[in-house]
Amino acid sequence: MDNFLQVLLDGVLNGLVYALVAAGLSLIWGVMDVINFAHGEFLMVGMYVSYWLGFILKIDPLFSWVAAGLFLFILGAVTYKIIIRNSLGKSGMAPLLATFGLSMVLKNFCMNRFTPNFRLLSGTILEGKTLSFGGAIISVPQLVTALFALVVLSLLYWMLKKTRLGWAIQATAMDKEAAELMGIKTENIFLLVFGIGGACVGITGGLMTSYLAVYPEVGGLFSLIAFVVVALGGFGSIPGALLAALLIGLVESFSGFYIAAVVKYVAVFAVYLAVILLRPRGLFGW
Amino acid sequence: MSMVSRKRTLFVALCVLCTVLFAGSAFAEEKIIKIGTLFPLTGPSAVSGQNCLNSVLAAAEVINNANPDLNIPLAEKAGLLDGYKVVIVKADHQGKPDVAKSEAERLYNQEGVFAIIGSYNSSATKPASAVAERAKKLFLCGASSSAALTERDFKYFFRHAPTDAIESKEFTDYIEYLNKEKNAGIKTIGLFYENTEFGKHAADEGKKAAKEIGLEVVADVPFNNAATNLSSEVQTLKAANPDVVFGAALGADYSLWVRTMKQVNWLPKMAVNYCTGYQNPAVQKELAGDGDYFMGGMSFSPELAQKFMPEAIKVQEKYYRPLANQEFDSDSLQEGVMLLILAQAIEKAGGLDTEKVREILATETFVSPLSLSGEVAFEPGGQNVKALSVITQMKDLKYNTIYPTKYQDSEPMYPMAPWDKR
Repeated sequence: MDNFLQVLLDGVLNGLVYALVAAGLSLIWGVMDVINFAHGEFLMVGMYVSYWLGFILKIDPLFSWVAAGLFLFILGAVTYKIIIRNSLGKSGMAPLLATFGLSMVLKNFCMNRFTPNFRLLSGTILEGKTLSFGGAIISVPQLVTALFALVVLSLLYWMLKKTRLGWAIQATAMDKEAAELMGIKTENIFLLVFGIGGACVGITGGLMTSYLAVYPEVGGLFSLIAFVVVALGGFGSIPGALLAALLIGLVESFSGFYIAAVVKYVAVFAVYLAVILLRPRGLFGW
Repeated sequence: MSMVSRKRTLFVALCVLCTVLFAGSAFAEEKIIKIGTLFPLTGPSAVSGQNCLNSVLAAAEVINNANPDLNIPLAEKAGLLDGYKVVIVKADHQGKPDVAKSEAERLYNQEGVFAIIGSYNSSATKPASAVAERAKKLFLCGASSSAALTERDFKYFFRHAPTDAIESKEFTDYIEYLNKEKNAGIKTIGLFYENTEFGKHAADEGKKAAKEIGLEVVADVPFNNAATNLSSEVQTLKAANPDVVFGAALGADYSLWVRTMKQVNWLPKMAVNYCTGYQNPAVQKELAGDGDYFMGGMSFSPELAQKFMPEAIKVQEKYYRPLANQEFDSDSLQEGVMLLILAQAIEKAGGLDTEKVREILATETFVSPLSLSGEVAFEPGGQNVKALSVITQMKDLKYNTIYPTKYQDSEPMYPMAPWDKR
């Protein structure tokens, strides 16, 4: 029973982290129909921002996530302004290839500037802290990241559903030309969406440095899982991304413990394939 | 075409011809030996790959410059044979076997390298050395430890490192020593390894050696490298609660493994590592105190070198540290050693005849002050029969040698101190 609870909690915590990584991707994909291949590298950049703030200025990841989120908001907006805007409408593959190129640039820039070394922050406020719950142990840094995920996703959902900006974003996603006729500056909406997408992944990266090593390739598998989460949850659906991420986290955790650790990603991608075959628009897509 | 423009064309053509001819003769006079290096310079093992490359570059400096202060064969004079310089041609296999194969082909066929040194990951060394064997070219391997590499009866493949089989035997010898001398009561074992050629082979050898001394295998946990988390893997280990764990996790996976064990507040009584993230001082530095009490097989540590390999320290300070900004580690040093051994073989062969150099590598014993045993000799298949490693234990960022007793500089700390009592 202890093991079951532990595996369940691990799955939920990992799932919530995946949800936050995937939220930005889902938003960009849903609104702009652009696959951001540099999403994993955005996560890596967010982690580096938090790491260097912690290493040089001794700012704990509990606070430096703000800077990481802000930095990635700017990086996302600049990416839109310089790269995406110019590749939109040229060919279906152009934005995808452009973001792929950006991912290579970011990865190799970090490799060159920071070396491939793994960097771990020591002495953080949450380091080594655990909670005991019904015989299971919860890692506090992971718990805090998961709680942040819930808060950020709730805010994102509230913004999309209850604010004028959110309505404008939804209108742009539904019909760009009609939105423009209604007076919505879709150019600014796209810029904001890319910025918000970047900020979400930046916040995640900023918090993750409290328990995970940062290195130039760290975003690889996270971004792959984020793609699965978005496709599984339904493009552009924040609740869908949350539920899909929780499903992925639980499948990964239970298959890893009860079948074999080495098949956990096999199980994740098998579930993804099964859902896509049976319901191509994802679990909660329209 | 007018007369003037025809003359101009002729003049330009002559200039081009002269340039090509002079350049050709200049290249012909340039005495260089191209040696390829094939390491993971990007990807999950990039840190170790960069260290390996820097070690080979440091060894090339030893060969190319006159180093009368170093008591290493060929160090005193500058260059090889009658003034040949070693030029290193770098390639990156990213930790991927298919890339390793194509890069090996490129190095031999397009770059025209005389030999390749590499490739750190056994899974990459295997296909790359197969390319060498087919092309009848030399492939020298420093650190890859899968025993299968030297069980293929290859003629052009030579490896310096002790194999997983040798290390596994050493680990179980140590367990027997602890059980007998320290009444350690080690009865069960768990294996935690990356799901690659290296990891699987290390685990197989570990299980075989454990069986021989009657240890019960209670956990067999392979994992995918560069994973987002190792929660289920560590949970599986914790549930089985083995007395000892043999680990084979490289770089970032090693630090994630250690940190995850800390998160779930669990440790075995003892954790011994094959050539992995444990041996990398940069990884240990990042882990700080969390890396303490873990153990691993090593052919080099700064502490060990002070006593038994003083020349390694000199090379480290003179050439390696300025490149890598850190000390040698067990894996990287062995890659550099292989260049020094190859240089000796070329010198003895008196030229760049691959067959002659191969024959000398296969039959002679080489003096190697940068190897723990001080010598290198290869048996058929290419394994270094003089390969030696010791078991060290990390404490306060120092690798203390704890076994064999001949090399021991510290008492083993057994069992590992629990996380809450550090």
